[in-house]
Amino acid sequence: MAYKCPTCGKVWPDTPDLARHIFGTGDQAHKEWVNSKGYNFIELLLIQTMEPGNKGYKALADLLEKEAEKVE
Amino acid sequence: MTKFNVINTPIHNVDGIAKVTGRAVYTFDVNLPHMLHGKILRSPYPHAKILNIDTSQAEALTGVKAVVTGKDTLGVKQGIWRRYKELCDEEILARDKVRYIGEPVAAVAAVDEDTAEEALDLIEVEYEPLSAVFEPLEAIKEGAPLLHENAERNINVTRHIEWGDVDEAFKEADYVREDWFRCSSQAHVCMETHCAVADYTPEGKLTVWTSSQSHYYIKVLLSDVLGLKENDIRVISRYTGGGFGSKFELDSAQFCSSVLSMKLCRPVKIVLSREEEFMATKRRTPMFYYLRSGVKKDGTFLAKEARVFTEGGAYTAMGATALYLTGFFQSFPYIWPSYRYDGYRVYTNTAPTSAMRGFGAPQATFCAETQIDLIAEELGVDRIDIRRKNAMYAGYEVPGQATIQSCGLSECLDRVEEWIKDRGKLPPHHGIGIAAYGFMSGGIFNWFNTPYAFSSAVIQLNVDGKVDLFIGSQDMGQGSNTTMSMICAEELGVRVEDIRLHMGDTDKCPVDLGAWGSRETLMQGNAVKMAAADAKKQILEYAAAKMSPNIVYDLEIKDRWVHLIARPERGLSYFDVVKEAIRGKEGQPIVARGHYTPHRKGMISPAYSFGVQAVEAGVDPETGKVTLKNCVTAHDCGQVINPLGVQGQLEGAIAMAAGYGFTEDLPMDEGKILNPNLVDYKILRTTEMPETTVMEVETYEPEGPFGAKEAGEGLTNPTAGALANAVFQATGTSIKELPITPEKVLNALREKNKEEKK
Amino acid sequence: MEKQLLRITVNSEYHELYIKPKKLLVEILRDELGLAGTKRGCNTGACHVCTVILNGKTIKSCSVLAMQADGAEVRTVEGLASGAELTPLQKSFLDHGAYQCGFCTSGMLLSATALLAENSKPTVEQIKEGIHGNLCRCTGYNSIIRAVEAVAEGKYEEGSK
Repeated sequence: MAYKCPTCGKVWPDTPDLARHIFGTGDQAHKEWVNSKGYNFIELLLIQTMEPGNKGYKALADLLEKEAEKVE
Repeated sequence: MTKFNVINTPIHNVDGIAKVTGRAVYTFDVNLPHMLHGKILRSPYPHAKILNIDTSQAEALTGVKAVVTGKDTLGVKQGIWRRYKELCDEEILARDKVRYIGEPVAAVAAVDEDTAEEALDLIEVEYEPLSAVFEPLEAIKEGAPLLHENAERNINVTRHIEWGDVDEAFKEADYVREDWFRCSSQAHVCMETHCAVADYTPEGKLTVWTSSQSHYYIKVLLSDVLGLKENDIRVISRYTGGGFGSKFELDSAQFCSSVLSMKLCRPVKIVLSREEEFMATKRRTPMFYYLRSGVKKDGTFLAKEARVFTEGGAYTAMGATALYLTGFFQSFPYIWPSYRYDGYRVYTNTAPTSAMRGFGAPQATFCAETQIDLIAEELGVDRIDIRRKNAMYAGYEVPGQATIQSCGLSECLDRVEEWIKDRGKLPPHHGIGIAAYGFMSGGIFNWFNTPYAFSSAVIQLNVDGKVDLFIGSQDMGQGSNTTMSMICAEELGVRVEDIRLHMGDTDKCPVDLGAWGSRETLMQGNAVKMAAADAKKQILEYAAAKMSPNIVYDLEIKDRWVHLIARPERGLSYFDVVKEAIRGKEGQPIVARGHYTPHRKGMISPAYSFGVQAVEAGVDPETGKVTLKNCVTAHDCGQVINPLGVQGQLEGAIAMAAGYGFTEDLPMDEGKILNPNLVDYKILRTTEMPETTVMEVETYEPEGPFGAKEAGEGLTNPTAGALANAVFQATGTSIKELPITPEKVLNALREKNKEEKK
Repeated sequence: MEKQLLRITVNSEYHELYIKPKKLLVEILRDELGLAGTKRGCNTGACHVCTVILNGKTIKSCSVLAMQADGAEVRTVEGLASGAELTPLQKSFLDHGAYQCGFCTSGMLLSATALLAENSKPTVEQIKEGIHGNLCRCTGYNSIIRAVEAVAEGKYEEGSK
């Protein structure tokens, strides 16, 4: 099982890796996808660093678990 | 050991005679017929809109041949992260807006430098100043002035690294420690400032002499911004007067001289002044570091969490790489079963920050090593034991990131421990601090988007046995020309003086990505070794035919003697064999090629160097002044290729890294650097240099040429941390902000005294 | 501004040339006489990269007007070796790897040459003091100090190598 980036189509082994890819790329297209799902890309990033417990990444990974296309 | 004839023997640098007789011609010395001199006008504002630029008065000045602004360019936003368009954000000649003090806005070409300088005063730029922001922690706040439209909250890039279950591991920790650190900036201070001579001719070809660490990169980046084909541009210069990470991105001298030359079809030379060098070229990345570490009572490392905000300055530059590498090397050279890193690079209205020797790792090492000493002190564990207990070893896999194939770290710790014991009792107010480090041997990443092999080499053997070696790597003083000549001579079985080295010319030499990230010894070295092996094979085919040995015998060449390995006395002269081999090839010289690109070597690098450094420092309790006494380094760079070169790299790294630790800084006021000269910016001088001792711990790196790996850049990593720990040992106070100035030491001592009185 | 006559002996060669009086010595050496071995690192006299020997004393050639050297004898890096025969210091620099990028090397050699001419047996401390003004960003100085020390110890005397 793997997950496909809803923006650029790159495939990743799990949703934390996919979340890392989306935050790390951070370009307009990826930002807009996250924002279009009712989240705020920048807020998620800032939560990640301002609060303990990996919250920003977990939130994005949870979203991707629901939204990202799964590939075999 | 008679294993090698050339490698690990003391050999003069192949450029040595040229350098000690003043014959070496640097870009700074290039003068062409009909050449003009250029100067660059720079922004006095940290953040402003450009409303209008009036160049008419400057153009009217006698002797001025051209004035260009951003409007005379294609307006391409360029950057070294070419695969990621949004990270290409710098125009070099700004058209609409300036984002730091020193950003170029116009350039002049005139008959001499004085006239060009005079013309700068006649250019009228109408600015609309904008509010500016200088600190990353301010710049991410809501409502802070935005530098780039698409970068909300001024966040430029972020990086996240994670392995293991960090939150669970912290729960198991007996002791958790949190610290904040602040790492300062640093200027490269190459003795040859950035400079270029661009010569565009009516045939549509551009030649650029320039002081660079990667002629290939400069060629491609120029092609991006000038609209010329890559191979209509030739970048040359054999000698580069220092680089240290500052000379592999496109700079204002290269760009402006090219734009002016294309307009005039005349050669244009631009040399940056020392002040421009300080104010407007890139610099080491300042970092705000938060570290939280969880360990067991006995000092076993369990979990580490690191967060970094870096002061990015106005543009991306190489900052994205520094951001990743500081996070990766924050875990080095130890085994952290679980680790999490969040790095944020934030745009600010300051000169862009980028690559500098160590590339994010000196900052990481300073913080990590300082904290480890504090943890050891708190737990009552020996500071060498805690490092030994958690040290990386050959075969260790950094989860998801890298595999360590060779590692002499434990032995390095043993050697430094012995030295400390032998040193015995120290004078009062002295302390010995230690720091351990690891570093990469060239990066695997290809954000530059090159379609070429990372390194290539070509060899031609001529009828007299002389070897023409063509390489793309650049020697900026680190000695790669000598290293490559030695590798070639060893593999081919000749002497260094038999080799004619060709480099520093993109028209004649194959591609190499350049001298940065400690690439050359391993990557260019592997390419050279492969080419030399190919050439040797071609010679040995002829030798075998001629000697017709028993088929079970192997042939080899050593010191110009082609012989049977098992019967070294049976052989032929290398020179005779080459002559006849060429005859046998219908008169064609023997040509051989080699190349190297890392494959399946993880995320970062094919190999890692390691080392441990001990710094003995004295602290004057009255003034807070720190004096370096000794600096002892146990060093694993795999197989040493050039011992004289390694020693030079080590001592040079100590000078630069100690400067970072306690004398060098770039203080600013509203984005303006306050000490842009060599009097107020203090690099180390002879009298401040400590005694240096190097202890080589030899390992064999399977991925490196003859077992070699990085030596020189990684050595910049430990010194600031070791120095901080020496101050801690001498005074009992830990300084968490670089540089460690007398003022900070005194303040810390006062604080400590107050605490003790309570 | 009217040009003035400069009479100068550089590396035992006598020159007469008309120059603008505000020209610096380093500019004349490099641009008029083609002696590009003398480099410039800062133009403010802070780095000593442009060091040459003027009437036996080291000076920073970026901080001296060429006209101030009128009638003087100047020695630059080009005047050290005689043909292929390097000076003991040059040989020692090679053996000790006392240079890397090479940009400060000319100035460093001239400072060390002047130091040894004044005091043929300097201590390590005196060597450090003697080249204290010369900045080098590559070597960390210790190899340079060892190179000068070796010459002072007589290791490069005629016939010793």
